[in-house]
Amino acid sequence: MTKISNMPAGWSRRSILKGGTALAAAGLAGLPMMGRAFGQDSTLSFWQFYAPDGDVKPQVEWFVKMVADWNATQAEQVALEYVVGSEYIGGTKLQTSFASGQGPDIFIISPGDFLRYYNGGVLADLTPAIEEAARADFPESVIANRMVDGKIYGVPMEVEPMAFYYSVKAFEDAGLNENDVPQTWDQLLEVGKKLTTTERYGLLFETNPGYYQNFTWYPFMWQGGGEFQTADGKSAFDSPATVQALKLWQDAVNSGAAPRQMLGGGGGDIVANLGSGYCAIQNVGIWGISAMDNNAPDVPYGIFKLPVPAGGKYVTVGGGWAFVANSKGKNPEAAGKFIAWALASMAPDSIQRVVDWCTVAKSDMPPRNSALAAGGEAFNKGKMGIFSKEIHPGTRAEPRVPPEVYKIISDAIQQTQLGGADPQAAATAASQQLDAFLASYSGAPIL
Amino acid sequence: MSDVVLNDPAPQTGRQLTLVRGVWMLVTLVLALMAIFPLLYMLSIAIKAPTEVFKPNLIPAAPTPGNFLYVLTEVPFWRYLLNTFIVSAVVTVVALFFHTMAGYALARLRFPGREAIFLAMFSTLLVSLPVIIVPLFILVRALGMLNSYGGLIVPAIFNAFGIFLLRQYYLSLPRELEEAAVIDGAGYWRIYWWVILPLSRPIIAALAILFFLANWNSFLWPLTVASDPNLWVVQVAIANFKSQYAASWNYTMAASTIVALPMLVLFLVFQRQIMDSIKTSGLK
Amino acid sequence: MTEILTSVAGEKPAAVRLTTRRREAIAGYLFILPDALGLLVFIGLPMVLAFGISFFEVDGFGSFKFVGVANYVRMWGDPLFWTTLKTTLVFAVMLVPLLYVTGLGLALLVQRTNRFNTVMRAMFFAPQMVSLVVISLVWQLMVVDKLGVLTRLAAAVGLGSISFLGNPNIALFTVTIAGVWFLMGYYMLIFLGGLQDIPKEYYEAAKIDGASPIASFWYITLPLLRPTSFFVLLISSVAAIAGAQAFDLVYVMTRGGPANSTTLLVTYIYAQAFQYSAFGYAAAMAALLVVLMMVTTVFFFLATRGGRFDNE
Repeated sequence: MTKISNMPAGWSRRSILKGGTALAAAGLAGLPMMGRAFGQDSTLSFWQFYAPDGDVKPQVEWFVKMVADWNATQAEQVALEYVVGSEYIGGTKLQTSFASGQGPDIFIISPGDFLRYYNGGVLADLTPAIEEAARADFPESVIANRMVDGKIYGVPMEVEPMAFYYSVKAFEDAGLNENDVPQTWDQLLEVGKKLTTTERYGLLFETNPGYYQNFTWYPFMWQGGGEFQTADGKSAFDSPATVQALKLWQDAVNSGAAPRQMLGGGGGDIVANLGSGYCAIQNVGIWGISAMDNNAPDVPYGIFKLPVPAGGKYVTVGGGWAFVANSKGKNPEAAGKFIAWALASMAPDSIQRVVDWCTVAKSDMPPRNSALAAGGEAFNKGKMGIFSKEIHPGTRAEPRVPPEVYKIISDAIQQTQLGGADPQAAATAASQQLDAFLASYSGAPIL
Repeated sequence: MSDVVLNDPAPQTGRQLTLVRGVWMLVTLVLALMAIFPLLYMLSIAIKAPTEVFKPNLIPAAPTPGNFLYVLTEVPFWRYLLNTFIVSAVVTVVALFFHTMAGYALARLRFPGREAIFLAMFSTLLVSLPVIIVPLFILVRALGMLNSYGGLIVPAIFNAFGIFLLRQYYLSLPRELEEAAVIDGAGYWRIYWWVILPLSRPIIAALAILFFLANWNSFLWPLTVASDPNLWVVQVAIANFKSQYAASWNYTMAASTIVALPMLVLFLVFQRQIMDSIKTSGLK
Repeated sequence: MTEILTSVAGEKPAAVRLTTRRREAIAGYLFILPDALGLLVFIGLPMVLAFGISFFEVDGFGSFKFVGVANYVRMWGDPLFWTTLKTTLVFAVMLVPLLYVTGLGLALLVQRTNRFNTVMRAMFFAPQMVSLVVISLVWQLMVVDKLGVLTRLAAAVGLGSISFLGNPNIALFTVTIAGVWFLMGYYMLIFLGGLQDIPKEYYEAAKIDGASPIASFWYITLPLLRPTSFFVLLISSVAAIAGAQAFDLVYVMTRGGPANSTTLLVTYIYAQAFQYSAFGYAAAMAALLVVLMMVTTVFFFLATRGGRFDNE
């Protein structure tokens, strides 16, 4: 203790003062320095869920080659940034990045998400970068839900219609063959029930809430003539067609044929569900062909188009993602040029790129007439042929809706499918919420 | 130490006693095995081949380290482990420094408003992160700390829990030690540094482990503040890993084991200290 | 310095005491400054901000628009808000008593200090060392429909094919059980600490009086555990209603589904902010939670006379 007593008294106060000042300085001035400096790097970031860390090699190669080709000839460099698919689609990552003011310069969105970003004012007008001939090369049905007031805000990379896939082995186990493929909803439920065992579900619809689930549900609503809004912008959700579509999914779950949970990445993941033997029939889009070919080549499967309800007419939904540019990004103009060069130029390599994406990297319908012609036989042979000849002709484009509308429809589906709610009551409640929202909505048209 | 009640079969014969004890221990053992079953199950799946994941056997037919190798080579897990270590260590050290200072002042120094300040600090004790996550995110964004180590670390430092425990601890220290120093003319900083801190070693050690553990296992804040994969901590990485390899539970469980292992090892080593400090944290 | 010290016994005691007191006060303020500032900025300010932001519409792309009480009106009319509030309460009503009973039960089971019980305590506590993210993943795997180990077990004992996380009537219960399983080791330790503080003489006296073990549990253990019980109930209630633990569990296991059946208020706030970019609306709900928590804290503080947990 004596040692301490020899210290000058003022020492403690001065040092504390000094320490305190330093801390205060760190607190006030130092913090931003601990933040990362953004904006010095002019490389355009391109967010998607394929490359460079994706699982499917041809898709990774397609993206990597595209960006390498561009970077080789252009001053404005582009860099790929991979986001895990289910996080990109069902998570919060993209939204949070924009909320942080650090959104990517180029990214991909589905029609389901278009209005969130358009109404938020972050989608750049790509029209100036796209030549007129290329503009006309995109069929109206494909480009319409990426346009507002005649201007293009997104360039589609693919068209992905929905269908059903079935396991040949599961059919055989149950004593069924390709002639038993269901053509009506009743048959679908019946066959699904027959295929159900203690370790396998007969029939799988998406169960996770999200844009994707809504997307896969729309055709069942349309088949009976249902819509979610009328031509004059009021809710049309409370209709017999909507109720019967909600009921179809509910019946499938209640009968024990359809699961309440899925394996792997969810209903769009055919390998983890149909491929693993978890289900016998799965509601998946055209991309299932390449997924099965790449990751479950030993599992024989068949495809059939969506069955129809009594008195209904065949229709399916066509999804697909589009390249878009961030209008608040580092260089929206260059980003737009990149997108036009990649997917929407009349140059042969641009057309071929679309063909490659839809045939080599994935199994999709092309969004451009020229690509369909250039791809030729690739779109017509084998299982792709079933899509292009039987399934695709009844395709209607995926609706674009604001997040609020998505959420109302999603809740109605979830409550009936899994929550056991009465379909009529759920449709009525959703319809009232829709009317309330639509009355005050002022963004770009809902299509 | 009180030896209580239900298991105190007082006036019985020796044989009855042994029987009761035996049943008692058996029940305890069964419950304890149930308690750690999920951890064993995680380990079991982590060394199973993919085709065996959903088979009911707990012991793999052909154990393989392949899942671990895959996880460690396919995903930059070392990076995530390093990030987590840096964040946890810095938070722990800085928090202990600040909290011992505050605890000392609140317990031993007299100044106007002390009680009010303590009350204000104490009242933040029950404000949990989910309650303030939205405004905190907006605040941290305004400070320019999103996607930075600063954003991961700084908000995690301030927590009334540590201050509260340290204050209680300092209140229980005998005043004579410090008074001797005061009479010897030591300034408050010296007293803090040379008297108080050395006396706090046991509680600092206990809190250090608790803080480190809490930060190693924290998920919500890192998930919210850092979307840049280079800044991911292990908990965010593992949740993300599950999304990407959803179909491969064997990989997910191998990754989970890697994330859990450091803390389980820490537990084996510091079992006593950890359990003792938690045991007292609720009360004193 | 020596001047001051010698003068303590000397001529000008009043003035000197004042200086000493001032020095002590200044030192005190400086010592608490870093923590006080940090708590103010990173906890206090966000609480105030929650109220501020709740009067704005924030669109997720950085634009703010003052909308008055519109977010509160929306809250009142949002059926999902009320559903999640109800789910949160149901969750708390299940979790809190279960934690109390399992925590105290385990503590009684292993309270005798011997080598066997030391190992048992460690086993009960071990899950606490693992993060809730990992725990949630393991539980998810154990209850996969038809194929999970617990699902098979349930089918084997004749409960049929249960969808533990896919059935909205069961999912919240499954999440609760996983939560109890994770947290019970922690509460066991808290109760052990409480049990150790009960003087052994009480039990000896009771035994001499011929009290049964159950009687001494009822008349000695429980009453003397009151401060511990109070602490446990309070902490577990807060954890259930607004805790990060509840959030982690739900976020990883179910993301609030199926059919919103496991969406807690904290999950809903997070989703509104970070999924639907409705930061203003989320802030309004957060503001409500802040009020709830403040009331709880004040009650807590008054009930314990300044955070003292002793028995007087």
